Amino acid sequence: MRYTLRHLTRYEYSGPATLSHNEARILPRQLPWQLCSDTQLIINPGPIGLSERRDFFGNRVTYFAVEAVHNSLEVVVTSSVETWPRPAQDFFSGTGWEEAAAEMSCAVRTGNRDSIEARLFVLDSPFIMRQPALKEYAQTNFTPGVYLHDAVLALNKRIFDEFTYDEDSTTLATPLREVLETRRGVCQDFAHLLIGCLRSMGLAARYISGYMETSPPPGQHKLLGADATHAWVAVFIPGWGWQEVDPTNGCVPDERYIVLGWGRDFADVTPLKGVMTGGGDHKLTVAVDVIPAPDLPDERQLF
Amino acid sequence: MQPSGTNDPALNDLLGDYPGHCGHDELLSPDRQPRAHWQALVAEFVAMGADTLVARSEEAQSLLHENGVTFNPYEDDPGQLRSWRLDCLPCVISTDDWLYLEAGLRQRSRLLALLLDDLYGERNVINEGLLPPELVYTHPGFLFSAADSPSQMHRPLLIFHGTDVIRDSQGQWQVLADWTQSPAGVGYALENRITLSRALPGVYRDAPIKRLASFLQAQHRCLASLAGNQRQEPNIVLWTPGPGSPGYFEHAWLANYMNFQLVEGDDLVVRDGQVAVRTLGGLHQVDVIMRQINDPWCDPLELRPDSLLGVPGLMQAARSGHVHIVNALGAGVLEHPALAAFLPNLCQRLLGETLMLRGRDALWCGDPKALDQVRESMDEWVLRDITRPGKAFRVDQMSLDAVQTLRLDLQTRPHLFTAQKPLQAAVTPGFNPSSKTFERQSTTLRLFSLIEADDISKPVSDHVFRIMPGGLAWVGEPGAALMKSRVVKDIWVLADAPQPHVSMLRQALGPILVTRDGKDLPCRVAESLFWMGRYGERLDIRARLLREALGRLLQESPQEAVVTLLPDLLTALGVAPDEEELAEELAAIGEHPRFSAEYLLARDRLLHLLSDRAPNGLPMTFSHFVRNSRAVRDHLGDDAWRSVGSIRQRCNNIARTKGVVAGQRLLEAIVIDLAAFFGLCNETMPHHYGWRFLDIGRFIERVLGTLQLLKLALLTANQPGIPLWEVVLATTDNFTVYRRRYRSQLHPSAILDLLLFDETNPRSVGYMLKRLGRQVARLPSTAENTSYRNLENRLIIQATSTLHLVDIDSLVDLEHSEEARDTLMALLDDLIEPMAELSNAVSHSHFSHVEAPRQLVNMEVGP
Repeated sequence: MRYTLRHLTRYEYSGPATLSHNEARILPRQLPWQLCSDTQLIINPGPIGLSERRDFFGNRVTYFAVEAVHNSLEVVVTSSVETWPRPAQDFFSGTGWEEAAAEMSCAVRTGNRDSIEARLFVLDSPFIMRQPALKEYAQTNFTPGVYLHDAVLALNKRIFDEFTYDEDSTTLATPLREVLETRRGVCQDFAHLLIGCLRSMGLAARYISGYMETSPPPGQHKLLGADATHAWVAVFIPGWGWQEVDPTNGCVPDERYIVLGWGRDFADVTPLKGVMTGGGDHKLTVAVDVIPAPDLPDERQLF
Repeated sequence: MQPSGTNDPALNDLLGDYPGHCGHDELLSPDRQPRAHWQALVAEFVAMGADTLVARSEEAQSLLHENGVTFNPYEDDPGQLRSWRLDCLPCVISTDDWLYLEAGLRQRSRLLALLLDDLYGERNVINEGLLPPELVYTHPGFLFSAADSPSQMHRPLLIFHGTDVIRDSQGQWQVLADWTQSPAGVGYALENRITLSRALPGVYRDAPIKRLASFLQAQHRCLASLAGNQRQEPNIVLWTPGPGSPGYFEHAWLANYMNFQLVEGDDLVVRDGQVAVRTLGGLHQVDVIMRQINDPWCDPLELRPDSLLGVPGLMQAARSGHVHIVNALGAGVLEHPALAAFLPNLCQRLLGETLMLRGRDALWCGDPKALDQVRESMDEWVLRDITRPGKAFRVDQMSLDAVQTLRLDLQTRPHLFTAQKPLQAAVTPGFNPSSKTFERQSTTLRLFSLIEADDISKPVSDHVFRIMPGGLAWVGEPGAALMKSRVVKDIWVLADAPQPHVSMLRQALGPILVTRDGKDLPCRVAESLFWMGRYGERLDIRARLLREALGRLLQESPQEAVVTLLPDLLTALGVAPDEEELAEELAAIGEHPRFSAEYLLARDRLLHLLSDRAPNGLPMTFSHFVRNSRAVRDHLGDDAWRSVGSIRQRCNNIARTKGVVAGQRLLEAIVIDLAAFFGLCNETMPHHYGWRFLDIGRFIERVLGTLQLLKLALLTANQPGIPLWEVVLATTDNFTVYRRRYRSQLHPSAILDLLLFDETNPRSVGYMLKRLGRQVARLPSTAENTSYRNLENRLIIQATSTLHLVDIDSLVDLEHSEEARDTLMALLDDLIEPMAELSNAVSHSHFSHVEAPRQLVNMEVGP
């Protein structure tokens, strides 16, 4: 699939900020099944010291400072993205989950390099602490002898079925425990929840930030800014690699999913973070468009 | 049966019960004779005799105290003062032992440097299974943001490395810990050496001890060379968390010795990709930062977002090579206690050598086999949790509940725990001044290595380190923290031949910045000097007032119901009860055969000002004063600092003072010490901006104090009149002047003349305004090329003209004329107002008002 991507992030401050240092992770990664071209980054007010690097996880990070007195900060990324189907993994669906967990254990001194690298994603991270409640929740699907692939898909589906998408129920600071109790949250909460469950079972799971193409209601044009940033999960299948799953939609990501980057949890891939002097309180606006290239809406010309 | 002592009876006396133990002895050989490398020193000690040694110990102690050497984090809190004892008996290391230790430490530094490079680069040691990923990635010192992929040029470098070493009871050297972020102790080591060579000059002059000074010179060269050829005179700063941190004394000491600017996080800012110090003259670029702050707190953008100590954007500035941080951010991961279990293999892999210096026996609990072993015999291990550094768990010293929690933690997060075998240390001798004999000690040595300056630009595998021939030793169980020790020692590394004497006095270690104390004065330092001036003067005024008040108390008849002058003095000191309180408290006091209730009330209220707990008491005012003076320690002369130390000791005693007379005497002494302190500041501080801010702070406080006092004594007092006026003159130290000049009874007009108008009297408001005007006019101007006067100048002109335009005739006959009293009241208020505002104006124009940085995205999350 070919898409035109536009992602706007805007912070409005209640007072003037005199200096801000920022880090953005909003440039999509290149992947075997994802190619980005014509990527443009526009920052307003004009940035100082703009520089790009690859972080520990290989994500594209942009650092910049704003040194003029400013009341708002706006970052817009546009890019053309082409995606293909992800590699299928039927061949390896025969790995049992216990086997996978054993491969991820600290006891293994030598082994496959990919497995060793994946072990980082079994550990606790800033937003995700392994805990008995999560393990208990996951255990319904992780019964002895079940294939890892099947168990993950089942758990993914169960979160989709049992949890309600509710933008008003949580904030970034809502602990996982509470999400589990209230059975409500947004994509980020569900991703964290699924990762927490998998890690509590001793498996490696990472957080993926990106976008998803949404279809407009039948017969209507797609509205600008209607898409959103999205988050989902990848679980490590030893001997094969990372299998993506989306607990918010209860499905396996396909070409309609565009990957920005990944990390242990949201903290590693926060799209835009910053530290500023002054500024007071702030209000955040995010607008995302994922426009399929063959079927452009009329407003396409706007950017 | 072994012989019970040496062959020398005098030595036996000195040894006391020192002999008579098993295990390795540093001092005595198995046949109970002093080992060869101790003989010369022991002979000197025997020749000096126990009494001389006690005297010398005391001398060393008082030198240490005078210099304010301390580890204590809470020394501003008057209740918590503690500093250690410096043992006059050093740790002596023989030439052979040193050769071995030196080689071992060199190898260890090379190994850790390579490991650091690998961990932030290819991570071969993890991928090859030599080091478990769980061990590395859970350590708070492993910084993901320092590990870019693919790794770039600037990987963290290990420049300076501290190692804690102990000799065990078998006589083997063992490493207890590595310090790779900002190893503390070099400054203390040098200070100890200087102190002891003053207390025991003969012993130190003649012994063939390796000298320390050249190590610090090498360190200076090394830091300067980091800046490369970028700048002719690199600006090197020492970054401290501030006076509240346990090692602050050493930070200030080192900054001074090495001629680096001492800065705190608020002083630094990243602009245009450069790190700069905010100074009175604007931003001043920094090339090298010697940091004393732990990794996670250094940059709230890329590291812990809740850090208030850090500098946003610092990592990026370092990444782009615009600033060098020593040691580099990320080096803290090498402090992981469980590395001890993996180093022998890592040494083979990375260096192809056998590890020379063994670490203490340790198990990483993330390994299931190790975990089983630890759980089976929990009481045989000391457990450490990497998320709680500095804390050691021993189940035999814990409550059952705590053990239960620990077992659970160990079960759920075993990879965070390291188990260490308790260690029996060799016996080392110390001199105990109380028993006047030697005593057995177990001693830990902190030794230091430093990369050779020329090697910095070479590949890491070619880095060579030099070892400081000496260091800091402390007494305590193996593994006990340096900061918790009570006794510290010098370390003697014996050379084959006597060593040339190298002066330890401050030498020009590097380029001297000629502009020091000029416009490059950090705004924070200017601010602290200003407040030091204000609090110091406040302490002086209150000490004088309280002294007078206590004096009056002694003159009052204790049985009198009406205590004449005291209510006014209580008002002046801000401790007068209001009417309701008064009735209540008087009722509560009850009958006393010898004292009236009013007398007791006044006495309690006055003496309460000496207690730590009184919010406006003297110890509290002092703690504000000392907090600010500690923040500018490197700008004060040693003598001035000594007088602060002396006030501190008095303020520590003051809370225990019970009697009125003793209180009076202490206050007397504090007044003299403060005069000495400010006098020394005037004599020794360069009369640059820093001194001006101190002076302005002081005189704003004094002018306000004098005006308030005049207002009380002449207008608002319950019992105005000669006794109160006498207090005013005594408080301003003008009694003698008055008597000599007026040779008459006290009269309000004469007092006003002396304390308000007479510009030749340094205690008069007129003089103070003149002085403030002169000082303020010489501050760096913030607005450029403007002919308008700034607010500070206008306020002083306003006050000065108010004073100059007074019609003196309208103020005569204050005692009878209501009109004259109103005029004086208006005059005093018109003077107080601009002076109070002046303080804000100075602060607004010159001090940096650094707001706590805010995060765009709040990353704090509940469990």
